[in-house]
Formats: sequence, C-alpha cells, structure tokens
Amino acid sequence: MEEIVYIVHPIVVTLVGAALGAVYFAFLRWQTQVGSLNASLVVGAIAGAIGATMLTAPLGYCMFQDGQSDEDVIVGWIMVTLGLLLTLNIGSVILWRYFRGQRLLPRGDTTPGAFRGRFGFVYAMAVLSPTILVLIYFVYLPMLDTLRFSTFLARFGAPRTRFICVSNFSRMLGDLDYHSNLFLSFALSFGIIIIAMSLALLIASMLNQPIRGANIYRTLLIWPYAISPIVAGSIFGLLLGTESGIVNRVLDLAFGVKVPWLVTVPAAQVSVVLASVWNVIGFNILFYTAGLQTIPKDLLESASIDGASAWQRFARITFPLLSPFTFFLIVTNTIYAFFDTFGLIFVLTRGGPTESTFTAMYRVYVTGILASDIGKSTAQSLILFLIVVGITIFQFRVGQRRVQYGNY
Amino acid sequence: MFRGFTLILLLLTVVLGALAPTLAQDVIELEAWVAFSDHRYDWAVDTADRFNALHDDINITMVSVVDYDTIVNNYTLGREDGTYPEIVQLFDAALQFAVDSDWFSYAEEIIAGRDEVLGHPVDFDDIIPVISNYYTVDGVWASVAWNTSTPIMYYNVELLEQAGIMELPLTWADILDACAALQPLVDDGTISACASWPFSGWFIEQWLAQQNEYMVNNENGRAGRATEFNLDTDAYRAIAEFYRELYTNGYFIFEGQDQWGPPTQTFNSGKVAIMMSSSAAARAISEGAAATGFTLETTGMAYNQDAPGGWLGNILGGATMWISNGLSPEVEDAAMAFLLFFSNTENSASWHTASGYVPVRNSSIELLKNLEPGNELLWDIPSGARVDIEAADWYAAFPNFLTASTQLGNSTVNNATRGSTYGTFQQSRPYYNGLVEAYMLNGGDLDAMIAETNAELTELLQEYNFLFADE
Repeated sequence: MEEIVYIVHPIVVTLVGAALGAVYFAFLRWQTQVGSLNASLVVGAIAGAIGATMLTAPLGYCMFQDGQSDEDVIVGWIMVTLGLLLTLNIGSVILWRYFRGQRLLPRGDTTPGAFRGRFGFVYAMAVLSPTILVLIYFVYLPMLDTLRFSTFLARFGAPRTRFICVSNFSRMLGDLDYHSNLFLSFALSFGIIIIAMSLALLIASMLNQPIRGANIYRTLLIWPYAISPIVAGSIFGLLLGTESGIVNRVLDLAFGVKVPWLVTVPAAQVSVVLASVWNVIGFNILFYTAGLQTIPKDLLESASIDGASAWQRFARITFPLLSPFTFFLIVTNTIYAFFDTFGLIFVLTRGGPTESTFTAMYRVYVTGILASDIGKSTAQSLILFLIVVGITIFQFRVGQRRVQYGNY
Repeated sequence: MFRGFTLILLLLTVVLGALAPTLAQDVIELEAWVAFSDHRYDWAVDTADRFNALHDDINITMVSVVDYDTIVNNYTLGREDGTYPEIVQLFDAALQFAVDSDWFSYAEEIIAGRDEVLGHPVDFDDIIPVISNYYTVDGVWASVAWNTSTPIMYYNVELLEQAGIMELPLTWADILDACAALQPLVDDGTISACASWPFSGWFIEQWLAQQNEYMVNNENGRAGRATEFNLDTDAYRAIAEFYRELYTNGYFIFEGQDQWGPPTQTFNSGKVAIMMSSSAAARAISEGAAATGFTLETTGMAYNQDAPGGWLGNILGGATMWISNGLSPEVEDAAMAFLLFFSNTENSASWHTASGYVPVRNSSIELLKNLEPGNELLWDIPSGARVDIEAADWYAAFPNFLTASTQLGNSTVNNATRGSTYGTFQQSRPYYNGLVEAYMLNGGDLDAMIAETNAELTELLQEYNFLFADE
C-alpha cells in the first residue's frame, strides 16, 4: 500500500488542537477560580483534539496531504478553527456547569404533569414524530447532502462525481469575483436593514396615532410582505425600466430626465435595496405596530406630565421598550437580506450591470440551479450559512445585553 | 357510531383512490412542458386539444414553464425526484446536455422505420434540411423540430425616412450611419435613441457564426467533443467593439442582460427606430407597430461588413421537442404521434402565423403561398382561435414573415453556422455576454478580459467533460 505523505501530519493537527484546548481551559480555570486545574487541562485537551479533527478527519485529512495547494491547507486550518470554536465552547459550558454542581441542561418552563407517567416519553415522541420526521427528511438530511456535495465536483444528471477535497472552498479564497459578491451582500444587506427598519418604525409610530381608517392603512402597509420577492422584482422592473418604466415616464414629463435605474451603478444597487425594502417593510411594520401596542400608556403619560418632550419619550421609553422587537427584526431582516433577495435580483437586474448587484446568494442560485454546478454552489451556500450563523451569534452576544425584556 | 362511519368513509376513499388509476387506464395521459406563457402557449393548448379530439385514448396536457432556462432546470430537478413530463421543449443551448444526460429517447429510434405513428405520417424528407441537420445527433434524428427561429432586424420605416434613410441598413456600418443620421430626431425629442434590443448571448453566438468563427474548439464541438473555449478571436473582439461604439455614441439603449420585454416595448411604442430580435417576435411586433401606427419592415440580422468572408450565414435558433426515455411503447407512440401532428403541414403553417417561427416543413411554405378560403390557419390572438388567412399568398401579404426563412435558406451550412454544441452552454452564456456588457459600459483592456474569461470557461467545460464524457 502506498504511503500517504502529509504536509501537516494528522497527529500534529490533533496535538495542536489538544494543546490549544488545554491552554484555553486552564485560562478559564484561572479566570473563574472554579474547579480543578487537572480536570480542566484533561477535558480541554480532549475537547481540543476532537475540535481539531471533527471536520478534517471525516475527509481523511485530505487537505493536509502532499500535492494540495496552499489554499487547501489554509482551508484545513480554518476547519480546525471552526471545530475548536464549537467543541471548546460547548465543552467549557458543560465542564463549568459540572464544577458548579449545576444540571447539565437548564431546566425549562415545563408544566408539571405533562407527559409524565410510564408512557409519558413514548407519548411525547409519538406526538412530536410527524414534525421530527418532516424536519429530518426535508431539513437535516438535505443539510448532510449539502456538506457531502461541497467536497465534490458534481452536476445534476452526470453519470459520475469526483471527490475534490476542499477545492470548492479553497477556490473561493482567491476568487476576487466571489469576494466582491460577498462584500456586496454585506453592503446591500446593511442598506436594506437600516432603511427597512427605521422606515418601519416611523410608519408604525404614525399608525399608532389615533387616525381615522388606521386599520385600512395597516392592512395596505403590510401586504407587500405577502408578495414573493420574484413578484416584487417584476413590479419594480415595470416601474424602473429606462424607456418603458412608469417612474421614468413621470420623471420625463415632470423634469425631462430619465434615470437608467437598472443599468447603471449605483442606481441599480439603490433600486435593488429599495425594492427589497418595499418587500420586507410590511413584516417590520407588523411587528413594530404590535410592539408599540404593548407599551403602557400610563408610562408615557406620566413622563409627559413630568415634562418629557416627544423625542425624549421616544428615545428613553418607547425605543428601549421596543428593543426585543428590534432585536428580533434585525435577525430576521439579516436572513431576508442575505438569503431571500436573490429572486428579486434575478428578475430585476440579473446581477447586473457588470455584476454590480451580484450577491453571494444570487451566485449560489446561478451556480447551482442555472448551471447545475452543485458542488461549487453547495460550498458557497455553506460559506453563507457560516456567515449568517456568525452574524446571528454576534447579534445575540451584543444584542442581548442591550435588550430589555421583563415586566413593566 | 359516528366513528365507525368516518372509518368506512376513510377506507372507501383510500380504496377508490387506489382504484382510480386502474379505472382510467384506457386513457394515456401525457404532459408536455413548453416555455411560453403568452398567445403562443394558447396556440399550443389549442393544438393539443385538436389532437386529443382525434384520439379518445390519449390526453395531452400542456404545461407552461417560465422560460427556456427554467424549463431545463425544472426538468433536471424533476429527473432527480421522478416528476418530469413525457415531452419537454428544450432550447438549442441544452442540446449537448440533452444528449449527455441520457434522459431521452430519440425520435428516429421510436419511429423505427415506420411511415406513420397512430395514423400520423412521418414524412421526414419534408422537413427543411438545415433544420433537421441541426438536431441530428450521431446521424440520428433526435428531437422533433417545432419552434425554429433566427434573429432579424426590425425597422420603423417612417422614422428612418424622416432621417433621410431610404434603404434599410444591412451591416453594422449601415446601422452606425443610420444612427448618426437619426441623431437630430433624438435631439429634438422625437425618439429616445436610435436603437434598442435585448442584450442576449444568443446574438453573440449568431454574430460569431456570421463571421465564420467558432465559439469552442473541435469545430464548435461538431467534429468532436469541445474541450476549450475560443473567445480570443477577431470576430469576438469585433462584436465587443461594435457594441461599445453603439453605446458610447448614445445610439443604443441598454436595458440589462436578457431583458426581452423592455426593448420590445420601446420599439413598439415608436421611441427607437431600430430593433433586433428573434423572428419569433414577428407577430407580436407586427401587432405593436400596427397599434402605434408605423410601418414595420424587416431585414436579415445586421452583419460585420469587415469580416473576411462577409456574411456567411446564421445559426438556427429556437427549441425542439424531446421525448423522455423509459416510457412504455404505447406512451412513447402516443408522444411521438402527438409531435408528428404538432409539426405537420397545417399546424406548422399555423404556428408560423401565430408567432413568426419558421415553418419547419417545405409543404407548409407551399401551403402558405397557395391559400384557399376555409384554410383556418391564422391564429387570432384576442379570441384565441384559428381563423382564415384571407390573402391567397401569406408571404406576399406579410413579407416581414419571409425574412427569417430567407435568411436561413441563404445561409451556408458549415460547422460555424451549425452553431456550437458543448455541455456548459447555458452556464457560459452569461460569461461571454457579460464580458461584452462590461466592455460596452466601461471599456477596459479587452484582451485581458478575454483571456481571463476564456480560461474560466475552459476550466468549467473541462470539469463538465470530466463528469459526462465517455472515458
């Protein structure tokens, strides 16, 4: 049997993981001053070793083998890092709960008596099984497929596939087009979220005033959300065409100008952002309207008696009390802006002009669906998945400190 | 008691549900996917109904799918989970993939030498050779020609005359001259610009063929499987330069890649004088011109007057009907019979009037030249029914509909004008079209752009070949 030559030997990878894990846990031990140092070192090393190998070992450490490119090795170390982030975080939480004598899993708000008794568990599972089966079949198994395909050169309808290790990922490291797609995704998403949320808050505040026909306005304002992004794109396509669009028709009659909305930079990007904002804003208005109705009137009244101005009442009372809604909306809008706008872009600009509205998710769609190149597109979708998971974790970390839940 | 009743009802439903297919077994149900949703789809449904009326035991259902690209994607995904139609309309770009996928039965093999299928004559010799050639794979007639098109120019005659242009432009230079002459009309606000047309990769393919140039190696993939892209050519550069000149002079309104609706509306409303589109739009543009009230005239697709051989010919465009493999012989015959009916002399002639797609049979052209009352060939868009063509000679009455047939008839057939065939056709289109777009809008180092795109496309093609080609 031919011996495999490694650029970085698997033992080295495992040891590096173990060492990092041990050091990190020792640091935690020193910081918290809880538990035994030896146990921290041992568990840390084990968690580190698992973390370093959990993503690389299933691929047979192929990215560290001789003949792989530098980018492949870099991707390998990124995988080690991701694995470590996962196992060290989970491991430390479990270990320190054990050190503190806490239960491993926090006790939830379970209603006493539900699903108790001899067949309680069986009954609970029986009730849950339809959902669980659907989730397994339609969500988790396809996710596993995505993981698998991302390491293959594969196309729909092809008689064969080829294992290409992490090439689909390492190719993206040096692909400037892909980097600009990613950057664009962030930029457009940022624009969409900022505008969609601030505008929604403004409109919801206005709706919250006692005006005649508020219910009608509310309904009208929410319905764009019921429209799929593809249809929203078609509507804006009719509005914004250079020669045939309604907007330019009006502009031409009024001011004698025509704006090439969809075929110049940055007008095309602005158009995509505005169309997306229009599409998602109903959702935000819905939640902000609900949120505003939960704010106790007496609180605002007493503030106003104490001499607080309208702006002060908004900045000091309304906005902080809305923070759970704001937080929720930031998370959902991020997901919308990253993942759901590709249909709109497809209809409106096809990613153009000159790829100036070619977002990373649109790239996934074009590569995977239009071109049947599923290996590359699953790899791209995993990158997006990781980015959104990262953003969401970040938002939870930062957001939760500032979000005020609780009773007033 | 109530529970028992529900249970019986439930059982009955299940049993009946299981029986239903067997009870209805004497009717063969077939689905056909087509990429139209406008009056052309209405025509297809009407024609399927006519076929169904002839056969009690066959029922063809037409399904409208968004566009050519989507139809390929949906069929591909359908193959993965078993929900695909018996008949599917695939466009030229999917030819190699259709062959490589091994998902289709070839028409000639289904016919297996018969003169007729379920009473519908085969008469293969009647099909115009350039059309049957295009869809012949390894010497076998693979799919059934239905909608065949070619790009042509559409002109607003009054606007051209206003600018003093008395002869229709034929070449790129003619177009640029005409646009210069039309500029005063732009300046005084009569029109928005000289020209607008869909910015489609299809036109680039056509212009390469006209200049006797290949898109991919091995003679466009016709002499052997294509393995490399061939963008680094004067012909491709000339196309980019032509667009750049049109655009920088303000002659051309760009509405985005593959946007077919907006330029057509602009032309139909008389805001530009020159438009290029598929011959398949002839009917719709004729209606638009009549509604706005201008005279429409057409010529063949404008060509590069500086190309060494001048105009060589154009590639056949459009799509053909493919029959899925793995069907039972009865179903296969039903599908084949339908496609023979769908493209017979009368239907092919009627289809031509409904759209502008070229009639695929010589006998259809003859029929359209010698019409008699009661012919019921003209598709009336508002009522969605066939009515009589009142003229005795359709082409004499509507000469714009002859342009496409003439262009294809005059084309020299070689491996440049037969068009390219390779597996990543669909995937590559946005690349070579996008390159021309980028150069048109922003200029730049054309050679470097071509080198980069050529390498990228070659790599994709080789990956495809690795997965599909016989080892």
